[in-house]
Amino acid sequence: MASVKLTNVEKVYDNKVVAVHDFNLDIKDKEFIVFVGPSGCGKSTTLRMIAGLEEISSGTVEIDGEVVNDLQPKDRDIAMVFQNYALYPHMTVYDNIAFSLRLKKVPEDQIYEKVTWAAEILGITDYLLRKPRALSGGQRQRVAIGRAMVRNSKVFLMDEPLSNLDAKLRNQMRAEIILLRQRLDTTFIYVTHDQTEAMTLGDRIVIMKDGYIMQVGSPTEVFERPANLFVAEFIGAPKMNTFKAELVKEGAGYFVKAFGAKLPVNGPNGELLAKNGVGSREVTLGARPEHIVLADAKAENTIETKLIVSEMMGSEVHLHVRTTDGTDLIVRVPTIQLSPAQRANLQSGATLYITFEDKVMYFFDPESQENLLFH
Amino acid sequence: MSTNNTSMKKHMGLKASTRLSNTAIYIILVIISVIWLIPFVCIVLQSFRVESTWKVGYVIPQQWGLDNYVKLFQTNFPRWYANTFIIALVVAAVQTVIVLCMSYTLSRFRFKLRKPLMQFMLVLGMFPGILGMIILYRVLADLNLVGANSLPGLILVYVASSGMGYYVSKGFFDTLPKSLDEAARVDGATRAQVLTKIILPLSKPIVIYTILTGFMGPWGDFVFARYVSQLKPLGMNAAVGLQSWLATDTMTHDYYTMFCAGGVVVALPVALLFMCLQRYYVEGVTGGAVKG
Repeated sequence: MASVKLTNVEKVYDNKVVAVHDFNLDIKDKEFIVFVGPSGCGKSTTLRMIAGLEEISSGTVEIDGEVVNDLQPKDRDIAMVFQNYALYPHMTVYDNIAFSLRLKKVPEDQIYEKVTWAAEILGITDYLLRKPRALSGGQRQRVAIGRAMVRNSKVFLMDEPLSNLDAKLRNQMRAEIILLRQRLDTTFIYVTHDQTEAMTLGDRIVIMKDGYIMQVGSPTEVFERPANLFVAEFIGAPKMNTFKAELVKEGAGYFVKAFGAKLPVNGPNGELLAKNGVGSREVTLGARPEHIVLADAKAENTIETKLIVSEMMGSEVHLHVRTTDGTDLIVRVPTIQLSPAQRANLQSGATLYITFEDKVMYFFDPESQENLLFH
Repeated sequence: MSTNNTSMKKHMGLKASTRLSNTAIYIILVIISVIWLIPFVCIVLQSFRVESTWKVGYVIPQQWGLDNYVKLFQTNFPRWYANTFIIALVVAAVQTVIVLCMSYTLSRFRFKLRKPLMQFMLVLGMFPGILGMIILYRVLADLNLVGANSLPGLILVYVASSGMGYYVSKGFFDTLPKSLDEAARVDGATRAQVLTKIILPLSKPIVIYTILTGFMGPWGDFVFARYVSQLKPLGMNAAVGLQSWLATDTMTHDYYTMFCAGGVVVALPVALLFMCLQRYYVEGVTGGAVKG
């Protein structure tokens, strides 16, 4: 129930390693923000600076308009869920959840009410008198969430809460976090390295790399309009295919030369390129696996490839193909769109002709890696 | 069927070899404990001997009785015993607080001089404490804390260096996940509350170890206690007092069995303490703290 504002926040460790560079972000009240990025990108450090567990080297962190740089974690009115749960092993589940309330000297009957309320939502009522060691990983994580829930704090911080769970449980807990968010209706800051979690949970996603913010935007924005090559490759699974290509301006239109094929650039992409005044040049071309289509036969706009591996995922097939010059690409085809003849052809070594849906091609500057469409 | 048999044979072999090695271990342990126990058994037996008070050439008393114990409490011994008890208790209490705070600080806080401080204490700890005895005596003498007044003096000296005994407990605190501290601090605990409500309950074995070592040091001290007390009866602890009975051959003649009884009385509380508290040494308490 509070906004969080980070202004020029930096973290420099004693050994001069800079973990976070000039971090600026306005988190609105009741927003669900996800920090995502590969390990070592500074996402957890940023979260820990908001929590007060890590000193802020420079810049300010404000919670609800109040600068909290010099406040102890206990005075920031935040709740936090840790990756390794960090349950107090000598206390029962009940005492774990009640711990913060007891420190605040809340009367026992109110504590009882709150703890049972949280336990019911999380489905851990039966385990309240157990010690953490007698619980499974999923149950422990629920207790950790319960401990944060009863606090009624301004901001709810989660540091990779699902990373220690197995895949099935992770999916289930992800859905529960969405429900939890609706119920608690407070500001969430969630750290993860998993782009699926980021896409499904966040109102806005902050994508980080090496301590820098790469892009901030809604899941749709970062997926459809990645600001740079890093975001484009990081968001989406399987990851976007990227390769060198030549963008050629021809009159008012554009086409791309790649792997000996001539691919027209039509529709909004061409207009955007023209609007940005992009001329003929080298580009790094990006195409998501689901935006590559199989062509029936060789044509001017098709690329000849050899099939290396075909992965049948059920509703779709992932085709790992290699172009004539040795570049590996991934193509994702809905199973339902494959004719029986095409299916029969999906053997290793088969020749496949592919082409791109021009509306969803991405053009990046090979030097700066910026997206040329939205720059 | 045949595979069943082989696996059964293997199983039996494993059982038998386990049993054999266990037997060997027990035999060795029994031999060690017998050797270890002989002096204690001798002292206990001597303390119950009533037919004579001097050293004799046999171990088992010809006449048993509690005379030595009764007489013991008619001497200065109760005073010495009380002295020792007060010193040991105060030192154990103060030293435990200092050691645990010190260890927690060195384990969890990061400050500029942390490493140099630890190195400094390591080097300082390499000098034998006995080196400082003369100067400590001079200081205590100037403060009038020697002779009959030696109690507070001894407490002061025992407690003074306790901060340096942080190694074991810091080592243990280091193994407790830091995220527990962080979770508690986010939950609204102060650093002191983190120590008392989270760290200490998880460190029972170490707390008890610290109390025990704090108690045992002054309880068994002889050299320094004797030097500071200058053999003034009011300032002596039990060890110094008992030893004073064996100062000359004539005294030994009269006091030897009482000396043994005194030894038993001194050993009792420590033995009891250990018996009550030993289970904490083996209790593993961190299970379930983090994923594992």
